[in-house]
Amino acid sequence: MIRIYPREEYCIGCRLCEIHCIAQHSSSKDLIKAFKKERRPSKRVEVEEAGHVSFALQCRHCEEAPCVSACISGAMSKDEKTGVVTNDPQRCIGCWTCILVCPFGAVRRSAVEHKVVAKCDFCPDLEIPACVANCPNEALIMEEI
Amino acid sequence: MPRLDGKYDYIVVGNSAAGVNAAEALRSFDRNGSLAIFGEEDLPVYSRPMISNLVAGEADLQKMRYRKKNFYNVNKIDFFRGVRITKLNAKSRAVVTAEGQSYAWRKLLLATGSLPFRPPIAGLEEVPYHTFVNYQDAQRLIKATKAPGTRALIIGAGLIGVKAAEALYARGAKVTIVEMMERMLPAALDEEASRMVQAICENKGLHVITGECVEQVISDDGGKNTRGGTARLRNGEEIGFDLLVVAVGVVPRMELAQQAGLAINRGVLVDQYLRTSQEDIYAAGDVAEAFDLVWGEPRVNALWPNATLQGRYAGWNMAGGKRKYPGSQSMNSVEFFGLPVLSAGIVNPPDDSYEVLTSRMAGGGYRKVVLRDDVLVGMLVAGEVEKAGILTSLIQEKAKVRRFKQSLLTDSFGHIYLPKAVRQARVQEGQAGILSLVEK
Repeated sequence: MIRIYPREEYCIGCRLCEIHCIAQHSSSKDLIKAFKKERRPSKRVEVEEAGHVSFALQCRHCEEAPCVSACISGAMSKDEKTGVVTNDPQRCIGCWTCILVCPFGAVRRSAVEHKVVAKCDFCPDLEIPACVANCPNEALIMEEI
Repeated sequence: MPRLDGKYDYIVVGNSAAGVNAAEALRSFDRNGSLAIFGEEDLPVYSRPMISNLVAGEADLQKMRYRKKNFYNVNKIDFFRGVRITKLNAKSRAVVTAEGQSYAWRKLLLATGSLPFRPPIAGLEEVPYHTFVNYQDAQRLIKATKAPGTRALIIGAGLIGVKAAEALYARGAKVTIVEMMERMLPAALDEEASRMVQAICENKGLHVITGECVEQVISDDGGKNTRGGTARLRNGEEIGFDLLVVAVGVVPRMELAQQAGLAINRGVLVDQYLRTSQEDIYAAGDVAEAFDLVWGEPRVNALWPNATLQGRYAGWNMAGGKRKYPGSQSMNSVEFFGLPVLSAGIVNPPDDSYEVLTSRMAGGGYRKVVLRDDVLVGMLVAGEVEKAGILTSLIQEKAKVRRFKQSLLTDSFGHIYLPKAVRQARVQEGQAGILSLVEK
């Protein structure tokens, strides 16, 4: 199983991870179109910043994921093989129980879909998730755990 | 196919949140032990909380399915669908169905849930009143609201009552809701959040009466139980209704536990491994009185996320894993007419030994944290709810928050405000909240 780790000593708070995450989860997957022409999807990685410290955080894809066990509809599930925790928007009803129980604050209400949550899905179409691939400073690294 | 000898390694009584999660967890330890689930409803497992979405027309039974169609097959479960267990004998290690069939178990889980409490209101049995906890209840309500403008009266503005109100409103009913306490959702919310919910309900045209109770129900058809009636309140006011919903709470279903002589209090008492007082009998979910990590003592927390977690731990322990249940807590996530409200732990402190901090956000949101000796014990967020789970996790960790407590109220609150060592442990090691309490 892989996990993305932030390295706060290298993060400069440029938020390119957020921007590329948004683009990757847009319908065109194009940076310019996603920001200028489409309804902008939610970011699934967030840069936290205070003073000189910043780092980017997304879903930890927990082993014993609280969001999966708390989900009331069965929309949230953990893939047994890959370990990736994903939300099925067709089954999600926007009860926000996952937001209530995620210790990392990594699940948010979707900006484009009605009563559905958005979270990191490890960019299934990419070899390396967009946030990691586009970090100019290697402040996000992917590691096997 | 049920086993011919009627003997199972594991029997789970109850086919909802606790039972199904127990079966799943059990299978992660024991792939081959024989396993049966008994469910008295003639349905595969579905999401009970979603009955409000069903009534509102936002979901159908297909969408309400809590697990995939092949769930029972994949997990090698003999699913006794629509079969009710009426007897439990702890000594002979057997359960008996309503039809008189006996099944033996090596380990048993009681996940029998709870039933709506029936308040002692005069004349109640003379009208066809409704409850709002299962699929059948939802189907009855859908039928009863076919005509637009149906006058619906709901007794109780707790979680179930308010979700029923929202669903019936979506069905075009004219809704009145009567709550005995001074405000809506008195247990889940604080005064300010209750006021926000009430304002939004009244804005939609719902009639909300608080601090009042229904003393008597007078049937329109002389008690033939076919039509509505009139409810008389304590203050003498009379409210006519076509449809009456009783939603004043639930009580654990302990008949089987009582038969078997298990130790009970408000629920079936369980230890930190979800074991009842009787060897090899476990209990989980609404029926169980399990350790509450905020209060530090056993409590009945009849809520879906607690039921699933208790089920998982019960399942692991039944299958021979030894995992200590980290504990339940009161927690609620609800959205009424577009206003999301999340709360966890103690939101209404019982005395003034607690410190309460609140803030109003620029966008109209509301945030509250409750502390005791600088330890976070409760939180409530309304309107802007993102990252509220971090607060829930700090409650679970019994985190000392003195150094950053003001930041808890800001909408930018996140791991950045935590001391570096704490932040690193959480973010890098994934040791946060309930995850940090799990003993490996």
